[in-house]
Amino acid sequence: MIAVKNLVKTFQSGETKVTATNDISFTVPDGQFASIVGRSGSGKSTLLSLLGALDKPTGGSIVVGDRDVTSMHDHELISYRGHSIGFVFQNYNLVPSLSALENVMLPMEFAKVPKAERMERATALLGEVGLEPDQMDRKPGRLSGGQQQRVAIARALANKPKLILADEPTGNLDSATGKMIFDLLHRLSRTENTTIIVVTHDLEIAGKTDRTFKLDDGRLVK
Amino acid sequence: MNPVSRGVRNAFRNGIRTGSIVLILGLSIGLALTMLIAQKAVDNKIRNVKSSIGNTITVSPAGFQAGSQANNALTTDELAKVKALAHVSSVEESLSDRQSTTGSSSPSFGRFSGTDGSSQQTTTSLSSPITLSDGPRFFSGDSSDSSSADTTTFSLPVSFLGTNNPGSVSGNTVTLSKGNAIDGTADTNNALISTQMASKNNLSVGSTFTAYNATLTVAGIFTTGSSNQGAENTVVLSLPAMQRLSGNSGSVTSAIVTVDSLDNLSSVTDKVKSTLGSTADVTSAQQQADDTIKPLNSVKTVSTFSLVGAVVAGAVIILLVMVMVVRERRREIGVVKAIGGSNARIVGEFMIESLTLAVLGAVVGLLIGVVGGQPVTKALVSNSTASNSQMATTNGPGGRGFHIQRTGASSSGPVRPAGDRGFGEHFGNNATLRGVSDIKAQIGPSILLEGFSAAVFIAVLGSALAAGMIARVRPSTVMRTE
Repeated sequence: MIAVKNLVKTFQSGETKVTATNDISFTVPDGQFASIVGRSGSGKSTLLSLLGALDKPTGGSIVVGDRDVTSMHDHELISYRGHSIGFVFQNYNLVPSLSALENVMLPMEFAKVPKAERMERATALLGEVGLEPDQMDRKPGRLSGGQQQRVAIARALANKPKLILADEPTGNLDSATGKMIFDLLHRLSRTENTTIIVVTHDLEIAGKTDRTFKLDDGRLVK
Repeated sequence: MNPVSRGVRNAFRNGIRTGSIVLILGLSIGLALTMLIAQKAVDNKIRNVKSSIGNTITVSPAGFQAGSQANNALTTDELAKVKALAHVSSVEESLSDRQSTTGSSSPSFGRFSGTDGSSQQTTTSLSSPITLSDGPRFFSGDSSDSSSADTTTFSLPVSFLGTNNPGSVSGNTVTLSKGNAIDGTADTNNALISTQMASKNNLSVGSTFTAYNATLTVAGIFTTGSSNQGAENTVVLSLPAMQRLSGNSGSVTSAIVTVDSLDNLSSVTDKVKSTLGSTADVTSAQQQADDTIKPLNSVKTVSTFSLVGAVVAGAVIILLVMVMVVRERRREIGVVKAIGGSNARIVGEFMIESLTLAVLGAVVGLLIGVVGGQPVTKALVSNSTASNSQMATTNGPGGRGFHIQRTGASSSGPVRPAGDRGFGEHFGNNATLRGVSDIKAQIGPSILLEGFSAAVFIAVLGSALAAGMIARVRPSTVMRTE
């Protein structure tokens, strides 16, 4: 269960104080596939950063399971991100010097998973997301956008996180590939019992999720 | 893949850039290594020079330079006071002079005319074994003699040395090849000549020749350990005989005071100075060594500054490269942080990358150092000693009087004892400097180790700012679209 309560994040932009998220509260049960929609600048990505402990809120709390993320120290946050969260980004954000397999193994290395186990699990995950064996040793530059996003999803699943946060995962893909990726995430939320929160502009995709949150000017309106 | 192999692999992401960085870094490390090699070589030379310092003090009449027509001299009575000083082991006294050869129209260069001006204007039947075609170049530094030097037929004068220690000539230990030694304190007309002098004049043990209107007998024929034209052109007599023959009774043109211990050298030098007052120039071996290593010290200073400059330049190169790399990979750093990578791990990876570049640069630098170390060291030392030598010739005492300078000869012997000044100084007063120039740069394991240590130091120093930048990259950076 993710419980967000009175979450506030403000930035100082020059002399202007910008409130990116304003008193947001909601809960998402385990294994649910939720989406966040809203216009550009409505605070979707900021909310995702706060949920993923990439940034610290100005006020409020985020409780994942039984742990309050907002009260964690920096070293606890590193461990939390490594073990409990999986990220999927719009630009895939794979490490360009590593192969697909090595990219998936990287978070497991940070989580101190033994090498043999890393290799085995990474290969299985890449197979699960539909990457061919001969593509696993390719570097991101030699994979298509859809293939890179599959690798990113496999990387997000590497440490069996409780929560996967996806920021516009289909934003750079054509509609067919985007649908394929969305279906993949949907299937994983069922088979892995992982909570998935997706930020998207695509209302069609949002309509297929278990629950949709709508943000407007930093406030939760739906 | 572990962080080390990732760091190494990252160093080769862009082959052209890596190659350029390694080359520039190699030049920087190569320069640093070359300067380190030069510094070590100079250090060794300074150590050798210092270790060869004798516990001797040179005493000569004030303002008197061998080869000049000075009229002052020390006396055996004055030197007796020196002999009586505490910690003085012995005093070697000598009187040097020259005799023109029979039939020569050349002036009597460098003759010591004695305290009473009674020095006899005579010639010797001997001919000098040194010929001008052998390489020595004659010139007169004395303005009063310059016209005649350029226009007259000249044959070299022969040096005569009266000494109470005939076992040493021109700073070289004399080895008798034929005949017997002479007693330096006995007033006899027996003389020692060099093998070259004997050969030139067809003399053997027991032969006679004339000088100072007297007949002298060859008692022994000596060889010197190393080529020394000063010694080859010298006839050695006992001190009393030389004083008598030259009409300079009781006069001494040079003395070497030997002190019982190096520890007492400085204090005895001061005592000798105060004993003889303004009548004598007193120079300790320590002072001579200090003068000798002066050019080396300047080379050391230059090489130290260059070394530090090159290391700093290397560090700045790595620093700028790593700053550029971190700026380029901000998003990637953010991603790694977002998926659980710690600052320490990421900084470690970048340091490995920087170390890889530095080590590759060090390999190139070592090649440059190995190739350039010896020639650069020699060039630095040669330039420095040349400028010092020039200053000495221009301003120093050796600039006047009669000189034959040898070129191209090398001397690897120790610092020349002060007694050399009697006549040997005319024949290459820069021998010590030439010995200093003969410097060997050695590249051993310690140099290699220090080269690689410098590379590691450069890498660590150059990564420091990058590490700070990495720590400041927030993982939320990754959420921003480009």
